[in-house]
Amino acid sequence: MANLFRPSPPQVVAIYPHMSRLSVQLRHNVGKLQIDVDFELTQPWTILFGPSGSGKTTILRAITGLFEPDFAHIVSYPRLVSPTSTGITLIDTSSGLCLPAHKRGMVIASQKPSLFPHMTVLQNIRFGYPRAASSAEQDRLDKLTETVPKLFRLDHLLHRRPAELSGGETQRVHLARATMAGSIRVLLLDEPFTGLDRALRDELITDLLLWQEESQIPILSVTHDVTEAFQLGAEVIKIAEGRVVQQGPVAEVLAGERERLMDQLNAAKKNPA
Amino acid sequence: MTLRLAVGTTAILLVVALPLAWWIASGHGAGRALVQAIVALPLVLPPTVLGFYLLVALGPLSAPGRLLIQIVGHPLAFSFSGLLVGSVIYSLPFAVQPLVSGFSAVDSAYVETAAGLGASPWRTFRSVVLPLARGSLLTSAVLTFTHTVGEFGMVLMLGGNIPGATKTLSISLYDKVQEFNYGAANQTALVLVAFSLVTLVVVYWRSAGRRLVLG
Repeated sequence: MANLFRPSPPQVVAIYPHMSRLSVQLRHNVGKLQIDVDFELTQPWTILFGPSGSGKTTILRAITGLFEPDFAHIVSYPRLVSPTSTGITLIDTSSGLCLPAHKRGMVIASQKPSLFPHMTVLQNIRFGYPRAASSAEQDRLDKLTETVPKLFRLDHLLHRRPAELSGGETQRVHLARATMAGSIRVLLLDEPFTGLDRALRDELITDLLLWQEESQIPILSVTHDVTEAFQLGAEVIKIAEGRVVQQGPVAEVLAGERERLMDQLNAAKKNPA
Repeated sequence: MTLRLAVGTTAILLVVALPLAWWIASGHGAGRALVQAIVALPLVLPPTVLGFYLLVALGPLSAPGRLLIQIVGHPLAFSFSGLLVGSVIYSLPFAVQPLVSGFSAVDSAYVETAAGLGASPWRTFRSVVLPLARGSLLTSAVLTFTHTVGEFGMVLMLGGNIPGATKTLSISLYDKVQEFNYGAANQTALVLVAFSLVTLVVVYWRSAGRRLVLG
């Protein structure tokens, strides 16, 4: 039973000292839900944890810039922080500043893969990085074009169309495409592993962690799955009804949830239905 | 004459209708509803009403008409370019409506994904929306083209039936009937029917073929 919560082989413990940070202040009303959050991403992988309907997806969409919230102040601090560096303000509603989504570098992989159906896999993953502006850029692009398909095991699929892919392959292309975006500052994942079997999930997590080691790009993912949060061993921001309840290491923040899940599993074991 | 008018109208309308249709399809609100209503107006108004207003607007009787005459150097009414302007306005709904429904049918998730990946709105439109809505682009062009070939009332009001300048097939047909020259009228009518039929068959054939290919 204990191995359910044992972090899988790839562990998210490495701290990248120069990784960029993201500071988020957000207030927005969606129907009856009032979102009011204020948090900072400082770890390589942070999870927004909460039940469905607690506003997690809305927070991701606001960070990406897919809509303009009632109030927002979001600043991305670059990787090598010098004492004078101030960061890039993505949106500051109080001063009327709002960068459009395509200039923010907050790359979101939404829950639904939505691969462009009229493009091949290669065209899909290259969509976010169509051309290089300089020769140094070109080197980076060439390297990415070579490594990303390998990393996500897409080499043999590059010339297929999305309609010809299996579910797992589609998901791999979906994530690969997001990681290849040339402007990426933070990778946002909206329940990326929902509906996938355990093996595929482990595979994708490994891929993403390897990619992160290489790219040093922070990841913010959304989940309501306790097991997944423990597997990632990441920093957790617990959300309930649009508010941040707690932020910290997963073992601390989700201790209660783990207890409850263990009890349920034990009970199920004792009284099999 | 008819062909020149139809080709010119279709070319101009595609340029005008694409951004207009995208703007209408990519949001909602009172402004968009008003624009959409104005675009659809030529559908419900008798063509003669439109022709009359255009005649006034483009001729020397009104201030904008006089200004236009100064810019262009001659009155637009009763000239080919005037006819072109009229046709563009008259066929606008036939170009815009298919595009609006085509664009609206493109899942907004694709548009959001493209923006999230760093694509500018223009690039998103060009490489995601347009290819996904290419069927409606074809429909729009064909409808505009055939509709321009067949228009009558507006052309008569605005063009004034000048041989070699503003006399289109549909008007020449009308003339021939007025002259009781049924034989010639029959020929002209046959040309129009055959042309429209061939165009439509080609379009439907092609789109059916594509459906088969995509399975």
